[in-house]
Amino acid sequence: MAAGTASARQRIDELQAPLVNPGETDETLSLSMLQFQLKPAPRGWWLMLMLGLSGVGLLGIAVSVTLYQGIGAWGNNISVGWAFGITNFVWWIGIGHAGTLISAILLVFQQKWRNSINRFAEAMTLFAVMCAGVFPVLHVGRPWLAYWLFPYPSTMVIWPNFKSPLMWDVFAVSTYFTVSLLFWFLGLLPDLATIRDVSKSRTRRILYGIASLGWRGSARHWHDYKMAYMLLGGLATPLVLSVHTIVSFDFAVAVLPGWHATIFPPYFVAGAVFSGFAMVMTLIIPARRFMGLKHVITERHLENINKVILATGMMVAYGYLMEHFIAWYSGDQFEAFVFQDRRAGMFRYVYFLQMFCNVLVPQIFWFKKARNTIVIMWIASVLIQVGMWTERFMIVVQSLHKDFLPSSWSGYSPTWVDWSLLLGTMGFFTTAFLLFLKFVPAVALSEVKELSHELQHGGHPGAGR
Amino acid sequence: MKNFILGEFSDSEQMVTALRTLREAGETGLDAYSPYPLHGTSEAIGLPKSRVTKFALGGGLLGACTGYAMQWWMNAVDYPINVGGRPLHSAPSWVPITFELAVLFAAFAIFFGSIGLFGLPRTYHPVFEDDAFRRASINTFWISVELRDDPKRAERLLARLSELGASHVSSVADAASLPEEP
Repeated sequence: MAAGTASARQRIDELQAPLVNPGETDETLSLSMLQFQLKPAPRGWWLMLMLGLSGVGLLGIAVSVTLYQGIGAWGNNISVGWAFGITNFVWWIGIGHAGTLISAILLVFQQKWRNSINRFAEAMTLFAVMCAGVFPVLHVGRPWLAYWLFPYPSTMVIWPNFKSPLMWDVFAVSTYFTVSLLFWFLGLLPDLATIRDVSKSRTRRILYGIASLGWRGSARHWHDYKMAYMLLGGLATPLVLSVHTIVSFDFAVAVLPGWHATIFPPYFVAGAVFSGFAMVMTLIIPARRFMGLKHVITERHLENINKVILATGMMVAYGYLMEHFIAWYSGDQFEAFVFQDRRAGMFRYVYFLQMFCNVLVPQIFWFKKARNTIVIMWIASVLIQVGMWTERFMIVVQSLHKDFLPSSWSGYSPTWVDWSLLLGTMGFFTTAFLLFLKFVPAVALSEVKELSHELQHGGHPGAGR
Repeated sequence: MKNFILGEFSDSEQMVTALRTLREAGETGLDAYSPYPLHGTSEAIGLPKSRVTKFALGGGLLGACTGYAMQWWMNAVDYPINVGGRPLHSAPSWVPITFELAVLFAAFAIFFGSIGLFGLPRTYHPVFEDDAFRRASINTFWISVELRDDPKRAERLLARLSELGASHVSSVADAASLPEEP
């Protein structure tokens, strides 16, 4: 009985753990959340930026080599035609998905805890999709002709084949990027106005003034703004599900054993959310510490992210289980062979790394202590991203390297150009993210102030949840 | 000459109450400003339902029709592509792009439609003539009343806003409507 009461009490405390520390006024919130943008950048920021820029340099070299020498500079061969390029593409797109999930799906479900982290996550989406876009464009072999992918009236008098999942991908990814950008910018308008008004220097006032389009927070603005923001969130929700579904169609629509599976769409979406939340965690832990944002990105946010990671991790594990089950249950010898080769073939170490990172590691989040220990969750989040990369590598490379005919089997090993492209996009991502943190209000100020207002005034049902 | 009477409130509820009182007294040209959306301001000013939903629906329908028609015309009419003997008009394989274009067009309609409704981008607005108005995006709540060449009403409004609890009141003029200095 006593134990029951204690746990009930603990549960109540848990529900009431603050999303915004009490005692904050609108002014202190605005200034504290913008301090990083207003003050000169600390040395750590410059160091990280240098690191990111050296990655961008590496990317430049690798892209140049690819353009000069062609796809032959990569490790791809005639059985494994889609190696690192598509692995990296799917990995980056997946990372981007958590941004939309946090900002759109949690908005539609009125999960208030999203408010402090949605801006980060949306920026992460944009940069991750940019990184993803590099790979298919380079992979077409002649990137200067990549515009052929779009249906435009050409002198060749032909049109793209819309029955191809690769065309669906072109439309899905470009729509996804555009809608994410519009959603992000619309959410940013009021905050750009705030930073314009807080800034002391004339240059900043002019630049942020232009960026904010002259926003003045009028009731007439807010009236349409709320509706527009909610609708864009509502649209982005099915969009994000459709994008990774379509990415999975690139594989599932083909007849290759290991790819041709009906579980692919939900399994890919779950994997995308899983890796994306892990990326949010990896980025937000240092950001909240070094930018002084612990009062708005609280332990409660981190714990909720960990719970989402655990849940989506279980979905991914279910996907793995189902793949193996169907390989056996279908009685298809080619299918069964591919999955046996995953466990015992030349890529088995990658496969066991994948299982360790994606299935075992998230299980620690059953324990509250793990969900509340910064070091543990940060390491776990990095491992999960490694795991999700290896998953895509296994799907792409392992399935391709041994298909129906043993005479066409081959091995695969990446070249330095492959590794440099992967590392290079990470450098680009780091650079873009650091510039974002420095120049753009990185926390949705108006939303956090609104939340704080609701919490203080008791507000509406569901406030503070 | 176009003028704006401004009143600043430190408390949001006081501002909304003042706004409602002014509207009930028959004042026109009212607007309110806040750092975040406030409950009750739209009703207090009496704004009609947002038109953004209609833009969204229009954009979405247009996008879906465009997407489907484009694929049909390009792949079944203008340049028929036979893929494995499947029908030229193959609706299932056109679903993804139809959906994507519906979302894309709806998003464009929502974004550009609402930017248009905001009356943005604009480089100047008279309310910014009062330097204290900067606080409107940080932590205070403002009411503005637009009026033309009516010094009596201006005085009355200034007094009324103070009465209703405004901690700071001012009158600003549209710089464009001021006579040019010689």
